[in-house]
Amino acid sequence: MSDATPTPTATPERPQLPAQSPPVDPAETAVAGDKAASTGKLSWWRGDGGEGAKRNLGLIGVLAALIAVGAITKPDLYGDPTWVWNNVLAILQLASVVGVVTVGMTFVIIGGGIDLSVGAIVALAGVWCTTVATQSYGAGGMIFAAIAVGICVGLVNGVLISYGRLVPFIATLAMLVAARGLAAQISNKQTQVSTSTVINDIAARKVLGIPILVYILGAVVLAGWVLLNRTTFGRRTIAVGGNPEAARLAGINVRRHTMLLYALSGLCCGIAAIMLTSQATSAQAAMANLYELDAIAAAIIGGTLLSGGRGTIVGSLLGVIIFATITNLFAINGLSIEAQNMVKGGIIVAAVLVQQFQFKSFTRLLARNRLTTTP
Amino acid sequence: MTQHSRDVSRRRLLFGGAAVGAATLLTACTSNETPAASTQTKAAGDGAGNNAPGKKVVIGFSAPAADHGWMGAIHANAKAQAAAYSDVEFKEVDGGSNSEAQRSTLGTLIAQKPDIIVVLPHDGKEVNAVALQAMQAGIPIVNLDRAFPDALASRLVIKGDNYGMGVSAGHFIGKQLKDKGVSNPVIGEIAGLEIPLTVERSAGFAAALATYGFKVSNRRSAEFTSDSGQREAAQLLQALPKIDAIWNHDDDQGIGVLAAINQAGRKEFFMVGGAGAKVAIDAIKADNTVLKATVTYNPSMASSAISLARLIAQGRGLGDLTELQVPKEVTLASETITKENASSYEKLGF
Amino acid sequence: MAQPEEIAATGPADAGTQAPLVEAPADTVAGEVVLRLTDLVKTFPGVRALDGVQLEVRAGEVHCLLGQNGAGKSTLIKVLAGVHQPDSGQVEWRGEPITFANPQAAMRAGIATIYQELDLVDDLSVGENAFLGHEPRRMGFVRRGHMARRTRQILGRLGHGEIPPGRMVRALPAAGKQIVSMARALSHEARLIIMDEPSAVLAHDEVGNLFRIIRELTAQGIAVIYISHRLEEIREIGDRVTVLKDGRTTAANLPARDTPTRDLVSRMTGRSIEYVFPERPAAGPAGAELLQVDGLTRSGEFADVSLDVRAGEIVGIAGLVGSGRSELLETIYGARPAEAGTVRMAGKALRAGSVGAAVRAGMGMAPEERKSQALLLGEPIYRNVTLATFGRYARFGFTNAGAEEAEADRIAESLELRPRDVRRPVRTLSGGNQQKVVVGRWLLGDTKLLLLDEPTRGVDIGARAELYQVIRGLAARGVGVLLVSSEVPEVLGLADRVLVMREGRVIREAPAGELDENTVLDLVMAGSLMEGAPA
Repeated sequence: MSDATPTPTATPERPQLPAQSPPVDPAETAVAGDKAASTGKLSWWRGDGGEGAKRNLGLIGVLAALIAVGAITKPDLYGDPTWVWNNVLAILQLASVVGVVTVGMTFVIIGGGIDLSVGAIVALAGVWCTTVATQSYGAGGMIFAAIAVGICVGLVNGVLISYGRLVPFIATLAMLVAARGLAAQISNKQTQVSTSTVINDIAARKVLGIPILVYILGAVVLAGWVLLNRTTFGRRTIAVGGNPEAARLAGINVRRHTMLLYALSGLCCGIAAIMLTSQATSAQAAMANLYELDAIAAAIIGGTLLSGGRGTIVGSLLGVIIFATITNLFAINGLSIEAQNMVKGGIIVAAVLVQQFQFKSFTRLLARNRLTTTP
Repeated sequence: MTQHSRDVSRRRLLFGGAAVGAATLLTACTSNETPAASTQTKAAGDGAGNNAPGKKVVIGFSAPAADHGWMGAIHANAKAQAAAYSDVEFKEVDGGSNSEAQRSTLGTLIAQKPDIIVVLPHDGKEVNAVALQAMQAGIPIVNLDRAFPDALASRLVIKGDNYGMGVSAGHFIGKQLKDKGVSNPVIGEIAGLEIPLTVERSAGFAAALATYGFKVSNRRSAEFTSDSGQREAAQLLQALPKIDAIWNHDDDQGIGVLAAINQAGRKEFFMVGGAGAKVAIDAIKADNTVLKATVTYNPSMASSAISLARLIAQGRGLGDLTELQVPKEVTLASETITKENASSYEKLGF
Repeated sequence: MAQPEEIAATGPADAGTQAPLVEAPADTVAGEVVLRLTDLVKTFPGVRALDGVQLEVRAGEVHCLLGQNGAGKSTLIKVLAGVHQPDSGQVEWRGEPITFANPQAAMRAGIATIYQELDLVDDLSVGENAFLGHEPRRMGFVRRGHMARRTRQILGRLGHGEIPPGRMVRALPAAGKQIVSMARALSHEARLIIMDEPSAVLAHDEVGNLFRIIRELTAQGIAVIYISHRLEEIREIGDRVTVLKDGRTTAANLPARDTPTRDLVSRMTGRSIEYVFPERPAAGPAGAELLQVDGLTRSGEFADVSLDVRAGEIVGIAGLVGSGRSELLETIYGARPAEAGTVRMAGKALRAGSVGAAVRAGMGMAPEERKSQALLLGEPIYRNVTLATFGRYARFGFTNAGAEEAEADRIAESLELRPRDVRRPVRTLSGGNQQKVVVGRWLLGDTKLLLLDEPTRGVDIGARAELYQVIRGLAARGVGVLLVSSEVPEVLGLADRVLVMREGRVIREAPAGELDENTVLDLVMAGSLMEGAPA
């Protein structure tokens, strides 16, 4: 695109931008430069970015509204602080498995891909780690098996997509079918009960009043946040998803990175498989049904751009928690699953509409400013 | 080689050889040999009459691909029962994962002209036409569990009683609570996937409870899998801080339901299961969980279907009945398994 | 009648620098004016795609549109086809001011467009494609027989009665598909047909057939707007030429046959701009051998190219779009795998097709398409500056945003980036400043050789001069620069040594001082553009 008009500093101020004003004046420029240099140390703890933070604030608003609805409809339950605390933990436990899967999914989507096989990988890893033979190695063997299976399947996805040049949608759709098939084959279509007390205790035990599952979710989210925002891996992810050609021409190995993203998603699925097996004290080929849709939906309402290049871990986590809260809200009100699913669908549509609206108003603003500022 | 020694040798292989990588372990880990899978069969030869060998017959069999313990037991039972007869040749075709696939494999089976076919359709309505075609070609159809809408499409219907299951569970819970003198009980229900049979079960449950003046306080539907059972049970427990009784429709998902109850540390209520899985019967017998009973919907019907199919093909009647032919319809009673009678049901658990 | 008109300079840039035009013979065009555009303006976010276009098309003429990539031709076509609506200016169609709300409206009015990527449905028949969207029907049913008859009639009119109307379009060769596109235009009773590079998809002998059809159409009074990069075609089929540059008409209604090539080219490339080049260092560069390219070949793009760049030297490549220059640059950089030949950096051969290897050896590239090939538009400036080097500031895989910002800020200062706040998203910068970000990326780290592909495209004049300073400054620091530009004066003014490329081959190599613009223009266009031109 050619930009023929001489517009040296006429770039208009937009509401989405960070609050700093455009430093037209040289003195101000120097100030901005100093600021950038001086904040070097603090910047490690800076958030995901201004735009993302604003969106996340909106999600917290939705969450607050959902809790308010709960409090209004069930005042007797919400009047009891112990019950409220337990309910918060119940929601977090409900969110924990999908939450871990969603962290991996967020990376894949930011990196410009999609992983439809996450539910199937969770099932395969869960089934693999609960076979009689694996269980004979004890909890360590089970955890190793689940994580190794997750990473291996993720790597297969990654190799097919980055080196086999399959479209991610197709490669992971094929993996979805194949992994569930393999899981059914291994489990002989039976529900495999976990006899390991160590594994079963992961979901049953609390430490300092908080379930272990919630700690795992917290650890994975924190690791994901650091990985995305503070490491070269995360920077490459954003570059590869935002503009693969630019990333390639800047010397980034786009294919290898794409492959690693799917392996990371697989790793998250492996961790999730252990958590889910522990929760259900068993595993079967049909477990983690439609988790791929839950994870994608959570990432989307969390503000992750489906075309890649933008997204936040915190947003995805909030997305998962919002869905868990909806499920919880419907359960405590004794409403049907059908109604619950309709509301979930509505929220996804609403979230995407809000995103589109922001984008449109942004471009409109830009166009208007252009027209008025050029001679 | 016994299972134990095989595992030990495998372990030695792993820890002994430094070069043995993850791949080896993972491959080894797919081995899944459980102590001989239990199947429910009626031993051939215990008593004279019907079990006496007759003319050689070929029995075809088609049922949906097993995605769940109950369906797995259907396949295993049918196969094992057929193997118990020296005069039966068993021909199973892949029922596939939908009606479309089942229709096509069933067509192939009909073309092979077996003496009789046992069919558990994905959906009675969608497979009806193929069954009718077989009947017209002179091959009798034994319709297992999910009924064809057309009476002419089968020679015999043998099925479970979904409504009756709900009724049995409702009566057990109602009677227990009445005996305890609970006046306004909190009753939870964990249903299965919202398909017609689940709706029937819930209707039976509600109807039976109504005769005691009780009703269901909260109902969540799971998906017949243990993880969904855990998920929905956890939410149900959160919704009802104090519960008197729970009916869980399916013992497979019940593994997860029990896990959720255990994780929440709740034990103020008792629970009734559904279907009659071996894990559930064992738990009832051991009496160390909240699970106190389960109402059957027994996959042993597949064994019975094979036995009856054999008699029909051989032109024989049921020994204890006056009629010279096998009756046209058999509906299994949904029985209630409790601690008292658990031992006698053990061999029927799947 | 048809006087060539000098378009008044609409911007400060091109004031008074137009060469005098040759008078067109009075009998060139006889028809009435069917289409007249006055001061047409169309803006997209961030770009003025059309910035005052004038155009006059007469019935029965072939009116050629000339202009470089990005000059606004595509946008102009889309406005005429009703895809875009102009922001201001007037479209006069057969004497009446008009606006087309949508493509259907333009078609109904009688303007048909044949796009470069033929927009046919492969799995429908010839007849169904010709009448797509306006099938003859009765009571909701398509009158297939009627449609086939009409299609056969139209195809006959086009001299291709042999194409069966029932044949699937998928089964037709490219030339046949083009005929179907034209049949579609005629099925609308079009009075004006716009053809966007129609010869691009055709083999050489098929072009003659195309021209025959065009002549038959114009003989029937239909006007044709013909767009092509190939000047010899314009000479052969065209009546008048209008030249676009940067969204403006720089010359209108030039006679297609006799306007000197150089006039056309200067209006396309815009010699109008006053270039300010930094002075070359007095002593010639005598740096160490840096890049050696030997016999590099990619079939269909370029063949047997050998060149070398020394440290501190600026080597320019002059050539037209399609001469293989951008492909050559990308192949040297490893972004395209070479089929034959070697690329050496400081004597060491690089693995073909590996950008990573090139970057590790000290190469950097600012690609032709800034936005699609170089920038993460939504990301902050500093992250774009450090896109190739963020790993260097990282410790144990953890990025050091503070150090990156400080370094980016240093770069921003030395390049006089405006505004200089490196946390702003890069999309808020103007084109020139975005280009500075791309070049600045390679000032970090130890870049030894910088490949620049059209570094000043879309960059305003002031920023150009700054960019030239930056490039010269880099060379002074010992960085080798390989520069590709469509603008001959830029190559001549900036480079120490110049290579001229045509049709995938280097045809001349000389120090910049030994070449002048005319010589280079003659060279790049020889064979194609000069043919039949009384230059």
